[in-house]
Amino acid sequence: MGTGPEASAEARFALQLGSEDHDALAVLVSVQGLGPMTLDRLLGRIGSPAAILSVANGPNGIGGLMSASEVPEAPWRSMGEPVAEAIVEAGRRRRQILDGIARLELRVLAIGDPDYPARLMAIEIPPVILFVRGNAQVLSADHSVAVVGTRRPTEAGRRMAARIGVGLARAGAVVVSGLAVGIDGAAHAGVISERAPTVAFIGSGHNRLFPAVHDRLADEIVAAGGAIVSEYSPDTEPTKGTFPRRNRLISGSSDAVIIVEAGAKSGALLTGSWALEQGRDCFVVPGSIDAPMSAGCLGFLRDWPGLVRVVSGIPQLVEDLGLPPAAVQRAMARPTKPTSSVRLPTPEAVLSGGGPDDREVGRALLNGAEIVDEIVASTGLTVGATLGALTRLEAAGHISGSHGRYRLEGSWAGREPRRLPRAQQRATPAA
Amino acid sequence: MLATLLSATLIALDGRVIRVEVDVAPGLPGFTIVGLADVGIREARERVRGALRNAGFVHPPRRITVNLAPADLPKTGTAADLAIAIGILIGSEQFTPRAGRAALIGELSLGGEVRSVPGLLPMVLALARRGVARVVVPADGAAEARLVEGVEILPAASIPEAVDALRARRRSSPRQPDRVELATAGVGDAVSPGAVALANAADAPDLADVRGHAEARRALEVALAGGHGLLLMGPPGTGKTLLARTIAGLQPALEDDEALTATIVASVSGEGPIVGLVRRAPYRAPHHTSSYAAMVGGGPALAPGEVTRADHGVLFLDELAEFSRDVLEALRQPLEDGRVTIARARGAVTLPARFQLVAAMNPCPCGHAGGEGGACVCHPGVPEKYVGRISGPLRDRIDLWVGMPRIPARVMLTGPEPEASAAVAARITAARARQLARPGRALNARISGRMLRAAARLSPSDQARLASLSEAERLSGRGTERLLRVARTIADLAEADAVRAPHLDEAARWRAPAARPLNALAL
Repeated sequence: MGTGPEASAEARFALQLGSEDHDALAVLVSVQGLGPMTLDRLLGRIGSPAAILSVANGPNGIGGLMSASEVPEAPWRSMGEPVAEAIVEAGRRRRQILDGIARLELRVLAIGDPDYPARLMAIEIPPVILFVRGNAQVLSADHSVAVVGTRRPTEAGRRMAARIGVGLARAGAVVVSGLAVGIDGAAHAGVISERAPTVAFIGSGHNRLFPAVHDRLADEIVAAGGAIVSEYSPDTEPTKGTFPRRNRLISGSSDAVIIVEAGAKSGALLTGSWALEQGRDCFVVPGSIDAPMSAGCLGFLRDWPGLVRVVSGIPQLVEDLGLPPAAVQRAMARPTKPTSSVRLPTPEAVLSGGGPDDREVGRALLNGAEIVDEIVASTGLTVGATLGALTRLEAAGHISGSHGRYRLEGSWAGREPRRLPRAQQRATPAA
Repeated sequence: MLATLLSATLIALDGRVIRVEVDVAPGLPGFTIVGLADVGIREARERVRGALRNAGFVHPPRRITVNLAPADLPKTGTAADLAIAIGILIGSEQFTPRAGRAALIGELSLGGEVRSVPGLLPMVLALARRGVARVVVPADGAAEARLVEGVEILPAASIPEAVDALRARRRSSPRQPDRVELATAGVGDAVSPGAVALANAADAPDLADVRGHAEARRALEVALAGGHGLLLMGPPGTGKTLLARTIAGLQPALEDDEALTATIVASVSGEGPIVGLVRRAPYRAPHHTSSYAAMVGGGPALAPGEVTRADHGVLFLDELAEFSRDVLEALRQPLEDGRVTIARARGAVTLPARFQLVAAMNPCPCGHAGGEGGACVCHPGVPEKYVGRISGPLRDRIDLWVGMPRIPARVMLTGPEPEASAAVAARITAARARQLARPGRALNARISGRMLRAAARLSPSDQARLASLSEAERLSGRGTERLLRVARTIADLAEADAVRAPHLDEAARWRAPAARPLNALAL
């Protein structure tokens, strides 16, 4: 291998990008089939991204590109004609592609830019370009922690992810995750409930947000000062391969990775492996040895004794992460004495704002009721009134209902359970 | 000698008068039936021959030609048997009827007994409209035939009785029930044993037998009160089917015109002897393996399908997602127009199909999505795809999407005593009466959008509430209208003249699962 990864990395570091190059790079990564290796080779031989595009748009563009990417000792590695044609075509559509990026209001961070996150610079194959929606500064936050896990969590797992999100946000760390359903979404939402920034690395282009059901979550992340980040050009479809590749960025842009729940073959374990490879701390939330959604966490712990650590509590986690002692205090702080910049109302305060029905129903849910029968039994309200109150609480973002089951969301989900009045006690039907 | 008699045949739900001409002529003995007769009628030769002989008459060894007119009308079924047999007796001069137009309907057994046929009621109706004065009908179908006014019904259990009836000067027939009596004939007049999946109120479970499920019970009440489409979703064994089966005991009795259609449908479907107007609203529960023809109707005789048999009642589709795609797509037209058209080379027949859709399904292939965490073993995205099998038009007709969670044992055991069907049915009937008393005279599910908005009488602040709910749920215009329809029904149940914010809030509870959940975390 004449141009190994080490050589390419050097080539990249050497890049001094002008604004022309910036744009050219954004155009080049939109070419399907142009992988990082070939791109590196082209950069090495032609010079800059802008130069590549000018070769492509010059006379005999296809021939020029193909000869520039030739690997004489391994001809099968050379770039094929279709890819060369695609580059020429992309060069022709340059304006259109850049307009598309501008329309999405994406910030383009190319490798070598001053704002390019230093943490990612240090990983083995840093993405040449990042498309950032929202606040790109959060990628370079002082403290950054990834919270990942299965897409099919248990209710307890979801709550735990939300609580860790809330705790880390209060401790001043930026939470990084993957915007997936399940643990990822719960962690993001926990952070958002604190109106704190969080970063989501997505495994597709910004125009092809996956899962589509999380587009509102994505909006809220941006609104709360966080960022949605992709290394793929905006129109890239999500495929089987894009997500594992994306996982290296989740771990790479964090100081530590926390796996909340993971099945035996969960993709979250891949993020954990990347973390170990990249020299990040790795934590798992332990669970019962019989719980299928803890099998991955426990297996990971067993496979990497001494490297993988255990989350034994939120304050302990904040301490183990090496966050400053004040942060530990903040993570513990009760929402009644908020130390975060935004003053958060307590669930009780929120409830006092609503009507009497909403208060009653909210209290029943906080006390552990999950289905309408339980709520009705403990509040004595009519079914109709209960359902109306549930709609209002859901609209306010405190709960969500699906399949006839209602669960706490946002700041309510992130509450420490011991502060729930009679948390252990399920709502008991009135006699 | 030539004998001409009247009989009738069926085309879908319509009776058609046919003329049976029997010519008994000298020549080589033979028996021919002409006039677009189907297999059932051509087999009449054998039945008539045996029946006449065994009833003590002579099957004349002459050349017998039967012509069924009009010749271009396809004739089906066995209703013309009796007319053919009597025609032979008259043609061979074995007896002479008294003057006057008479018609005969009935199938013959080889022993000479007259048996009832499906569709007796519409056939007698058709004859009555033609001005036929007397109709000989099978004795066991006499009650059904007497539902028709203005015709003298002559019941006959055998060929000799039919002969006597036609020969007699005037029989003292039982008094015809008049229209008032028809109207007051109560629920339960009609018995329909043997019909598969046709539950009748007596064996429908009572709501008092359903414990827990406060939310789904409420949704069922709202759905039946307003005629709304309802979908119950929940893991297997939670009681979806049990709850749906209670519907038969909750439906209000049919109005006169509805009852007439229901009775005709019951008659044509051969749902057993009919002794009065069918007042009980139909409740049909076809199995998910039902074929296209079974659902929309068809077959050589254009038999009504489940959608027609559920006219003015409830069509319950259990395991909705397991029905074949064709069958579900076939529900589009009836759901939109309230009728179904069966097109044939010879022309199209349109049958009524104004049913209310109630369906049940599991939330995912394994059945446990939305349950306690980890219970569902489906891959992510699979439950959404499973629910996605319900295509747009069907989705649009489902106003209430109800999740039925597994009810914990402590709720089952300690919960309050559930309300009985009778109390719920009374509220449903009252709410329907309120709706039918408004201009438009239709249930909230079917009233026009303009009428609905007028009936809602939203105050400006409640209007704003509707707008904000619709915004929050990202509802389409149609979705917003559906929300208002359900809210109107909830207000009717509360005996409120105007739809208020609490009604809207409750209605919003049962929206279709949004393509984008309201809350970021809903998945």
